[in-house]
Amino acid sequence: MQDPAIQEAFVRLVSEHRGMLYKVCRLYCFSEADRQDLFQEIVFQLWRSYPGFRGEARISTWLYRIALNTAISGLRKQRGLITTVEPDRLPTELQDIQYPAEKEEQVQLLYAAIDKLTEVEKALTMLYLDDRSYNEMEEILGISQNNLRVKMNRIREKLRKITQADVYGIGKS
Amino acid sequence: MELESLKYIWHSLEVPPDVEYDRRALLALLEKKSQAPIARMRRNLIGEGILLFVAYIPAILIFLLGFNGRLAAVSWLFILLLVFFFAYYYRKYRLLSKMQCPTCELRSNLARQVHTLRRYTRFYLLTGTGMIPLAYIAAYFIIRWKLPAVNPTPWLILLIPITIGMYYINASYVNRLYGRHIKKLQDLLQELDSE
Repeated sequence: MQDPAIQEAFVRLVSEHRGMLYKVCRLYCFSEADRQDLFQEIVFQLWRSYPGFRGEARISTWLYRIALNTAISGLRKQRGLITTVEPDRLPTELQDIQYPAEKEEQVQLLYAAIDKLTEVEKALTMLYLDDRSYNEMEEILGISQNNLRVKMNRIREKLRKITQADVYGIGKS
Repeated sequence: MELESLKYIWHSLEVPPDVEYDRRALLALLEKKSQAPIARMRRNLIGEGILLFVAYIPAILIFLLGFNGRLAAVSWLFILLLVFFFAYYYRKYRLLSKMQCPTCELRSNLARQVHTLRRYTRFYLLTGTGMIPLAYIAAYFIIRWKLPAVNPTPWLILLIPITIGMYYINASYVNRLYGRHIKKLQDLLQELDSE
């Protein structure tokens, strides 16, 4: 697929949705090197699937499916503590953005809470936080809306407990 | 903290700034090969297949054309093995190609991976184990045909324990390679389905 117009459209697409891609990488990988690997793989999968995208599904549904499938079900190895090879520099900087102190604390709290969820719960939480409808969640994840609602209630409760424990030290010895 | 409060923080997160965005680097990225393990396994499979072909063809020609044709049977054995390996690699490649569907729903993609990975490991195990008795039997007939004075029957007695041993070695190897990943995928599927 070397058509410059297609390439241009694809680059625009990735640029427009880089925030979502960044968040998926942040949620599913702990180290920066892993995030860069995952970002590269998601972009690669998007590029491979791009010619087949006929617009039958919403672009956001298509993007979430590929990003989450790559992050969750891909046979990926998380890097160990020792990294000997530095990945190539990537087009979108994936380093954590530095916020003012107060906001940084909130962001850390948010990620710390989400990091304690399972991979499936992380996907659901991300879709919920991104204001996706239950209808679209069903199209992305392939599970019934009833099941989604039950799971969301459980996640809501779990996050409440996690954040209470993190903020007030409840449940910590 | 309520989920709605987390949503507020989530929405306030900034995307990586535009200044870091490099269009040329992204285009260069598209030219690269996927580093995902399945893509790498497929490339390795093609490499192994080519290597085998390159190694077997001269051997086949030497035994077919050399030694005044007396060892032509060996070259036929090699041809048989080459056909077997071709079928073996082709089947594995097809299974690897069908393993992922990134544009599908998460649940159906996971189910597809579990199903295909199970078929892949079963095939790996059966061919890895079956190859030993097949090679033994082929060698038995060639020896009986070419060297009638030698009695290869005692070799066949060893065939059963060797095949059983190979089965367990292969099963343990396949489990070490893919067992944990299959378990992880099954757990994810179970979590998606449970209410």
